[in-house]
Amino acid sequence: MDGANPDDAIVQVQSLTKRFGSFTAVDQVSFEVGRGEIFGYLGANGAGKTTTIRMLCGLLAPSDGSATVAGHDVGRHPRRVKRAIGYMSQKFSLYLDLTVEENLAFFSGAYGMHGPRRAERIAWALEHAGLQDRRAALTRSLPGGIRQRLALASALLHEPALVFLDEPTAGVDPASRRDFWRLIRRIVRGGTTVFVTTHHLDEAEYCDRVGLMVDGKLVALDTPPGLKATHVPGRVWAIEGATKAEVEYALKPARQAGQVHAVQVFGRQVHVRVTGPLADHDAFLAALRDAGLSHTRLEESQATLEDVFLELVGRGRNGEEAA
Amino acid sequence: MSGGSRVNRIRAIAQKEVFHILRDPQILVFALGMPVALILLFGYAVSFDVEHIPLAVVDQDHSSESRALVAAFTAQDLFELVAERETAEAVEPLLRRNVARAALIIPQGYSRDVHRGETATAQLLLDGADNMSASIALGYANSIALAQSLGRARVQLGGFEMPVEARVRTLFNPRLESSVVLVPGLMVIVLVLVAVMLTALTVAREYERGSMEQLFATPVGRLEIILGKLAPYFALGLVQVLLVLVTGVVLFDVPVNGSLALLFLIASVFLLAMLMQGLVISVVTRNQMIASQVAAISTLLPAMLLSGFVFPVDNMPPVLQGIAHVLPAKYFVDGLRGVLLRGNGLDVVWLDLLAMGAFFAVMLVVATKRFQRRVA
Repeated sequence: MDGANPDDAIVQVQSLTKRFGSFTAVDQVSFEVGRGEIFGYLGANGAGKTTTIRMLCGLLAPSDGSATVAGHDVGRHPRRVKRAIGYMSQKFSLYLDLTVEENLAFFSGAYGMHGPRRAERIAWALEHAGLQDRRAALTRSLPGGIRQRLALASALLHEPALVFLDEPTAGVDPASRRDFWRLIRRIVRGGTTVFVTTHHLDEAEYCDRVGLMVDGKLVALDTPPGLKATHVPGRVWAIEGATKAEVEYALKPARQAGQVHAVQVFGRQVHVRVTGPLADHDAFLAALRDAGLSHTRLEESQATLEDVFLELVGRGRNGEEAA
Repeated sequence: MSGGSRVNRIRAIAQKEVFHILRDPQILVFALGMPVALILLFGYAVSFDVEHIPLAVVDQDHSSESRALVAAFTAQDLFELVAERETAEAVEPLLRRNVARAALIIPQGYSRDVHRGETATAQLLLDGADNMSASIALGYANSIALAQSLGRARVQLGGFEMPVEARVRTLFNPRLESSVVLVPGLMVIVLVLVAVMLTALTVAREYERGSMEQLFATPVGRLEIILGKLAPYFALGLVQVLLVLVTGVVLFDVPVNGSLALLFLIASVFLLAMLMQGLVISVVTRNQMIASQVAAISTLLPAMLLSGFVFPVDNMPPVLQGIAHVLPAKYFVDGLRGVLLRGNGLDVVWLDLLAMGAFFAVMLVVATKRFQRRVA
């Protein structure tokens, strides 16, 4: 499940490192992205996501290590890389004082397109973003969600095999975020590989594989179910009708046995992740009853990538303190 | 990469820049309105020609000789009679209140002295608070007095030839009108403002918006970005040259004695140098606010003070002269006046072209170096 077939990898990264003075923003990162994958790159702000993307897009020269994108070495042939990929940066995507059509005309021209193909691709992008009727509208007047769709369409004008999206849904409302991800799945079905960074952990669930960056290091890389199985094992029980203190008291023996991994409050529920005997529904219920919690309701919940993230980031922080 | 797509990429950037300009009407108002406003202001209001100096007269002699002297002062447009008083004390308030800038006082006995062949004295009071007008008025007064003296001497001696006579003929601007000199000088101010300011702003804006990174992520090369972004401002600059020139010729009779092609060549080289300076400023500052301030200080001051537009460079302290000889503004004003007023050809102005070209080359190197070093 881990690691795409190297022959089929569109991105190959080997010990990629970027140092700014004495600060190491990206530290010996290695991974591969397979063709047609949605590859999610997760991490807190400052974890090194954008720096990695900038190196892969040929915008920054690596300090060490190497990366091949669409068959081109990013350090030696940045311009070939740029021609082969699409890129939607975090801070900016479109010129707001230009109309929809002027933006598309500009980006297609910047990729050296001309003639009928250019016109055809602009028409495609307008349709893709649902903006056929608003081609003469100033981009400034469009809502954020539609602007992001247009930006994505303009990054795909030259039909790249791979597109890098750096925080594409930052500052976009939840409904538009869902629409945007629908669009991403659609372009992946068309054969394009998507490399996307995000700090919305719910969005990472849509990715085929997820890499997690902590302090410049890639600390985990797997499918979302794989990450959960590895880093947050066991079952999650959602308890209603008891306080966190009561639940912790009831589970004291199991905790001492190392079988209770997390106790968290979610609204009126207390979520407990357990391994060992208590993973069994009846055994868990019995443990609560034995502690006098007889009026509780119990149902199974799911571990989320947020649990994975907290688990891994917590570990990283502890290691830092020890050092 | 084929040359065709290179052209397409440059064209795409230039076209985008034109849209930016058209979307922001302030740019066009600034670029096209300001030259006309400046030329009207400098051409009409700011004049270094001193004429119609208001003159108060105290004629205590009341003779035909004294009236002849007053007439000599007011015959040309140099002095204009604004008041007549009986006593010297009475004219002082006129000078104080700026009603008169000069007062001619002819004492009783002036005609008697003239007829006796003795030195007849008349007194001229000047307002030194405006030293420029005063010194010019003094010059006028001296030459009028000299002419009067010679006239009388000739009468008394029964005609004679002048021992020495300097025949001054002013070439190229015979009436020494300042507007004729100023209008071409204005071109330097108009061009530096627009060329440096607007390019500094437009490139800094791309950095501020984060769009420079997006541009760098496309296959567009750095030189292509530079060419595409600067081309519209180059065209705008040439339109300004034409605008200032036409206004100058139509309203102020500025002569065009040299070749128009050469004039536009000089303007083009100067424009390129200024566009490059704007680019350097924006690539280094990457901030619109700072860029506009640096642009204003680094261009307007040299253009006004060190170009020879108002103050002759040769009279400056050596340090300032040194600076003036490095910056293109002086060479532009020199070359332009040479072509417009003196009808100079390439054989004279090539040095100006060379100096401006050298500045352009240095700026181009600095700009592309900085542009490359600091990616994203």
